[in-house]
Amino acid sequence: MSRSSTPGSPAGRPAGPHGNRARSFDYPQDEEADEVVLDPALATSPGHGRVGVFQPPRPATPRASGPEQRVPTAGDSPDIDSPFLDLFGGAQPGTRRPAARPAGPPAPVEPTPVIAPPRRGVGRDALPIPHQHAAPAESRPASHEVEPPAARRRESGTGVRPVGRTREAAEVTRGPSPAVEPPALDPAPAGRPRVPQQPGDRLPVLRPTAEPEPADPEPPLERPARHGGRRADETARPEPREVATAPTRELAPPRQRSAQRSGRPIKPVRPPKIKFGDRDPAVELAITEIAGHLTFTPNTVTAWYWLPEVRWAFRPDAEREALLSAISEQYAGLAGFRLHLRRTTRPFPADEWARTVDAHTASPLPDVPGTPGWADHLVAAQRHLMAVNHAEGQTYLGVTFARRSLGDSLAERLLRTFGRGTADGERRRLGRTVEQFDEVLGAFGMRGRRVTAQELEWLLYRSVALCMAPPGVLSPVTDGRWERGDLLALTEQVERYRTPYGSTVKLVNRMTGEERHVAVLAVGRMEPLEIPERHEPWLHFHERLPWPMELSTRVDILGPGDSFRNLEHRLRMIRSQQLDYAEHGIDAPPELERLAKRALVIGDEMTTGLPVDSARAHGWHRIAVGGRTREECLERARRLIQLYSRELRISLQHPKNQDWLAREFIPGEPIANTGYVRRMPVNLLAAALPQAASTVGDRRGDLIGRTAGTCRRPVFLDLHFPMEVRERSGLAVFVAEPGGGKSTLLGALGYLAARRGVQVTLLDPSGPLARLCAMPELAPYSRVLNLTGSDQGTLAPYALIPTPLRSEFSTGSAGDREFEIAVSNARAERRMLVQDICMMLVPPQVAREASTATLFRHAVRQVPAEEKSTLDDVVACLQGLDDDTGRELANLLLDTAEMPLAMLFFGRPPEGLLGADAALTVITMAGLRLPDLKIEREYWSAEESLALPMLHTAHRLAVRRCYGGSMSSRKLVGLDEAHFMEGWRSGRSFLVRLARDSRKWNLAALVASQNPKDILGLDVQNLVSTVFVGRIAEDSEIASEALRLLRVPVDDGYEATLASLSQADSGSAARLGFREFVMRDVDGRVQKVRVDVSYVDGLLEHLDTTPAAVAQAAGQLPTLADLEA
Amino acid sequence: MRLRTDDDIYRARLVYLGPPGYTLPVHLPYAQYGLFMLLVPLYMFIHWLLTLQVELFPAWEISLAIVTTSFIFRYVDPDRPARMVIRTALTDWRRTREPAAELRDPRLVASRIRIREELA
Repeated sequence: MSRSSTPGSPAGRPAGPHGNRARSFDYPQDEEADEVVLDPALATSPGHGRVGVFQPPRPATPRASGPEQRVPTAGDSPDIDSPFLDLFGGAQPGTRRPAARPAGPPAPVEPTPVIAPPRRGVGRDALPIPHQHAAPAESRPASHEVEPPAARRRESGTGVRPVGRTREAAEVTRGPSPAVEPPALDPAPAGRPRVPQQPGDRLPVLRPTAEPEPADPEPPLERPARHGGRRADETARPEPREVATAPTRELAPPRQRSAQRSGRPIKPVRPPKIKFGDRDPAVELAITEIAGHLTFTPNTVTAWYWLPEVRWAFRPDAEREALLSAISEQYAGLAGFRLHLRRTTRPFPADEWARTVDAHTASPLPDVPGTPGWADHLVAAQRHLMAVNHAEGQTYLGVTFARRSLGDSLAERLLRTFGRGTADGERRRLGRTVEQFDEVLGAFGMRGRRVTAQELEWLLYRSVALCMAPPGVLSPVTDGRWERGDLLALTEQVERYRTPYGSTVKLVNRMTGEERHVAVLAVGRMEPLEIPERHEPWLHFHERLPWPMELSTRVDILGPGDSFRNLEHRLRMIRSQQLDYAEHGIDAPPELERLAKRALVIGDEMTTGLPVDSARAHGWHRIAVGGRTREECLERARRLIQLYSRELRISLQHPKNQDWLAREFIPGEPIANTGYVRRMPVNLLAAALPQAASTVGDRRGDLIGRTAGTCRRPVFLDLHFPMEVRERSGLAVFVAEPGGGKSTLLGALGYLAARRGVQVTLLDPSGPLARLCAMPELAPYSRVLNLTGSDQGTLAPYALIPTPLRSEFSTGSAGDREFEIAVSNARAERRMLVQDICMMLVPPQVAREASTATLFRHAVRQVPAEEKSTLDDVVACLQGLDDDTGRELANLLLDTAEMPLAMLFFGRPPEGLLGADAALTVITMAGLRLPDLKIEREYWSAEESLALPMLHTAHRLAVRRCYGGSMSSRKLVGLDEAHFMEGWRSGRSFLVRLARDSRKWNLAALVASQNPKDILGLDVQNLVSTVFVGRIAEDSEIASEALRLLRVPVDDGYEATLASLSQADSGSAARLGFREFVMRDVDGRVQKVRVDVSYVDGLLEHLDTTPAAVAQAAGQLPTLADLEA
Repeated sequence: MRLRTDDDIYRARLVYLGPPGYTLPVHLPYAQYGLFMLLVPLYMFIHWLLTLQVELFPAWEISLAIVTTSFIFRYVDPDRPARMVIRTALTDWRRTREPAAELRDPRLVASRIRIREELA
């Protein structure tokens, strides 16, 4: 190709304006300068490899007047990282798309699953997300029907959802959070007044855009997805050009301009002519065929297995050892084969998650004008997920098992020329052979399953494009519609650059312009490891670092015979060297004797031990680290090397010949070089355990943070998941020392649940959670109830326990019986509660006397245990006794009734105290002084001793509210300071009842306590489904109780883990910005979790309970008095 | 479980002390002698190419081979065999520092791989 248009040597040329140059300088340029515009169809990954953002449908934005205009223009959304932006001269407003684009609304050919179809109909409409490709907004993945956007928008006037999801046009216009509604969405920011627009005056704006309107500032970006259709052969021909070519394009023949846009000084752009006769050097991979889970190279066949993730953290050592020995037996069973263990990653499919959450949220909290709505909330969470860069690991194991016969290879070669591939007979024969691997690998230990051809394609693509962003649409696998072979075709786009003696390889995806620098590290010298006890699995360990890495391990498994022969040969060499020294009369270095002895011991183990002990794995272990720039990549490599040498005493080496090493990651390719071969027993290979993982939580709840143990995974928690799916109780327990973050977590969970339309009641005696009600998005739907200022009878104990309704039970005689039992149970519980409350109200000295209990029991028996009874009835009954002690008790009760707070217990409850209307109710007891439970009750002040019955009844009151609505609707109760329940009969019955009712009433109950003993003492731990344990450093006894609650082995060193949670760096003066917990989810998985809800704007400020922050916020945040009003 | 590799056994340094009865003043690994013996004929061949005659005592060749061997073995350690050092040197011989220019490697293309969903 003649390169006349690019004069000068590469070195003489100015460097590209941006790092994401599409091509390197020595890449041949195309001659036709006016065809430079890339073909949209070529940009197969519109998000440039990122995961898309799902946005639930929401009301139409009146600003966006047409599908074309809603697309962000290149100029005003700087966060679009497209290599093509440069093409249009810094996105001049006049830049136009190619003239030959078909007129009329473009048919979205390639649906992108990024934005959900407006499932809830009219109420919500999809908006493009700024950084992602906008065009998908107009295409609907599920169906190819294209609704004219205008029509859709017109419909949006009629809200389908009464909950108020249809926002007023004006509210949408104001752009509540700039991050979510980027300026890019606004097609004509200057000219348009920022006033609400009626549908009427929106339409005229709309219509012209339906036709290709000349003045319409057409962003170049949208085109890729509009053209969408991936033409199989054309896909391979992208023409991303550098800015340097832009001037040349101006010289295009003027006929183009006159043809359609007469006389406009705009660069005419022809539809890209696909010509890709590029003579780039390209070599094919060694793999010639993928058939099912087998890959064929000319000489070998490899069977691939998928290794599912295994749980590692917080398991008893015995279990871990059992797992490791099972895996090593499996490896030993593969003796004689060469294995390729590959671990790659998949970015967390944030949009898939968001879609799930949205699907499980029947009626989110209606949006409040001027605040981030439900859609914005989800988008913020997805952004947060993507920013934190969670990656899920995928582990593949390939067993290279057959040297193919000459006949097979020849037959394949012959059949390939006819397009048929390997012969049927060979494949059938191999099918029988591989069954033995299924048997070995499928057992406990690895539990491998055969991979599918799609997964192999994915692995091949990820290996060729090592450490590069995966093709965007595929990663949310739901309906990434990759046809067979598409991914492999994409490998053509990956260019590789190397430097002599270079320490990285540069990979450039010439379709997206993405540039990656990859450094491949080899595992060098290893010191002895104590794997379950002291060290992490050595190939899982790298996941501590926050960026995804790739692993490739090639090992030959040697059976007993081979490994013994190998070792013996080595031993003879050592012995002969010793002899040599003796012959020459020189002292042999002492290490020779030591090594010879060790070889003897190992040889002895091999000959006498089990095959597992004698099998050896000789091979190469590599870790690939990627970065956007060379410096970043090397910095990451440096940190990885440091981490490994410090914590595991493994020295990672950074050899030369990086291009070969990078190539080794590709299945079927030869081994790069013979350096850094590690010879180890299979036990040690099994202990590499790259498939270890630390997932916790369900995948359908709110994002609450990430795991903080050995790897980083997002943690989602749906507190109704145990009831709705697992059919378990919904009791969740939070245990931490003061300051461990219980209240904040409780408040955050309450907030998130309220956003999803769950009816939330939080009991927070100390009161900081009341500030949640001041959050603008919750304010209209929330209410604060301050018990210290409430009416008489609010806490009347009889009314706190609801009478069951007949309708809650099944019909028929069985239901009748159940109902009767429930009614009498409720009566018994009332009696128990009233007795306990009376005991708490009288002074402890009196309460301790035997007669007191008898008299109270007697009085309570007299009073009918119905909801309408009151404590006054009990007092009257006591007064009516002809017993002095009884009258004295009545007087004592009346004495307490004089205190204003105690008045809450007497009398009837006011009507409509806790309506079911508010989405969030916070019950506080501001000003109440909570006693210290460690001090004897005798020494409590009158006020403090009153706190005890108040807390008891307040807990009941909070739960009482949940029995108001329908049984199946989702409810959440958060109870802080539950440790006051300990030691009272009614406390235990309360928690048991809560746990039992939680399933029936779909009630998630969060109970926070300072001491796990309270929960364990109440003996309800079997009913607990979710446990959060925060920092417990002071008391080792409490720590072991907490571990018992988590069902983690005690005295295994995990107490230290609890003490090290949320540990502040003593060197820094700043406050700790996060809180850590150990969480056990409903499925029994335990993991260290770092709670991070910072993606919710303003939530942390409102939840902050530290004195300084409260004082600082005093100006802006409302006080409790304001909230109650 | 205490797990350790068998690498140290393979890391034992095996050196040639000299013929029986005579101990050489320097003890070099066997591999170094092997490489030296390969290099001498190579240099002799190159010398023959240049001059078309064979020296009786290839003094230059021997000294060059010694120098080359010691250069190569400067980079050799138990984890990095001489084979690999020589290969790296041959592929990347141009410079010893990282240059600014990049070489383009052939793209690795997987698009011609045939895919079957099922094995048989």
